[in-house]
Amino acid sequence: MKKIIELSVNGESAEFLVEPQETLLEVLRDHMGLTGTKEGCGTGECGSCTVLVGDRPILSCLTPAVECHKQDIITIEGIGEGNDLSPVQQAFVDCGAIQCGFCTPGMVLSTEVLLKENPNPQEKDIYKALEGNLCRCTGYNKIIEAVHKASKQMVAEQE
Amino acid sequence: MRLPKFEHVQPSSREEASRLLAEYGSRAQLVAGGTDLYPRMKYGLTRPDVLISLKGLSTTPPTVDPNGDLRIDALMPLADLARSQMVLEKAPLLSEAALSVASNQIRHMGTLGGNLCQENRCFYYNQTHTFQFIEPCFKRNGDQCYLIPKGKKCWAVFPSDTAPALISLGVSATILGPKESRQLPLENLYTGDPLKPLAISDGEVLTDVLLPSADSLRGTAFVKFTLRGGMEYAAFSIAVVLDMENDGILCRAARITVGSVGARPIRAGKGENAMAGQRLSKTLFQEVAKRVATEANPFPHHGYSAAYLRACLEVEARRSLTQAAEQIT
Repeated sequence: MKKIIELSVNGESAEFLVEPQETLLEVLRDHMGLTGTKEGCGTGECGSCTVLVGDRPILSCLTPAVECHKQDIITIEGIGEGNDLSPVQQAFVDCGAIQCGFCTPGMVLSTEVLLKENPNPQEKDIYKALEGNLCRCTGYNKIIEAVHKASKQMVAEQE
Repeated sequence: MRLPKFEHVQPSSREEASRLLAEYGSRAQLVAGGTDLYPRMKYGLTRPDVLISLKGLSTTPPTVDPNGDLRIDALMPLADLARSQMVLEKAPLLSEAALSVASNQIRHMGTLGGNLCQENRCFYYNQTHTFQFIEPCFKRNGDQCYLIPKGKKCWAVFPSDTAPALISLGVSATILGPKESRQLPLENLYTGDPLKPLAISDGEVLTDVLLPSADSLRGTAFVKFTLRGGMEYAAFSIAVVLDMENDGILCRAARITVGSVGARPIRAGKGENAMAGQRLSKTLFQEVAKRVATEANPFPHHGYSAAYLRACLEVEARRSLTQAAEQIT
């Protein structure tokens, strides 16, 4: 049976008519056209479908949309303002931490959460925060480098 | 990948969930974080008609009962558990185990109860069966095993990381039924039958776990052995709790639990007995580690051979005993 749900995505509220088996990922991509959130494995292993639901990084491919009723959701489209990149996104660009870019939305969102909780993370904290995001082209060194760079910049901005 | 069709029910309390679960019977499935269930549904391994979702229910933070026991809500996300200051003080072993589970996203979605009540898994069972391994195995109601081709039973292992830690800590679980709630030691929750791993019946919900307070000097250690070190099921996990006599020299009792190497978490009783009343020493740890490895008798699983697991288990058991002992002195 279809249900009406209300989602606030990147600060804008909207109502959707969804089947119980439709995932948040399908609603974001197919109903809203927010295709920044990617479907990789579809079974929770790769992290490319990561979105933020009320400050928690979650896997939208394993979340039925009906369970997100009245929740605040932030996707990669909600990071940065217009064409201005967020410090994390800019660091990813500067460090060349992107090749095909498929994993990048998930990586950026996981990094945003990490730096919010721990502005000055050690290498092992970064490994722990990004362990659920798989990248199959660059290797992880440049991504780790980008997180360090973003962290340094954000700390410097605050001082 | 799409989820198959189901009906979604959101009860407003745990009691209602239990009542609904009893009402729908085997047609329904309880779901909290869903990180174990939804992939299996996508693979077509299980197809419940009705999902009773606990996601909307509020979670109580860990509380200390008047007698000093720590009560932890089963709906607590693993990420919250891992960073809870109270859990960190009372049972660092549990924080460590919770932090070792899967990835950050899964720890934010998955709950303690879900981790304790997950399905047994195996290399061959947990995937789509549209073009390979089409003939059903024991776990899909067939009569063969792909892991041990001439096997007469299912060899799926129970992969929870928090279960060994909690069993070593002597935790009891509260199970809410449609009529009454009951309390049982967590290790009795597991049947050891890979086809039906949990000893709970229709309509029963795991609501919280009760962690008894330590009344003596205590050293603990947790090791999750994996190949990559992140986002991975354990080859084995081992949780050690050493309770010492007040003098801090003799061991009063030890609890050693090995996870992921059998159809249920395995208590190494012989190893534990060999520790009781003994003075801690390197030779003792060596001897106990050998017993633990023999007793756990690992299933081959996820590409690890039984001999490899046994050899590594002996080494890691010795290391974790040493690590636990170092906390005492």
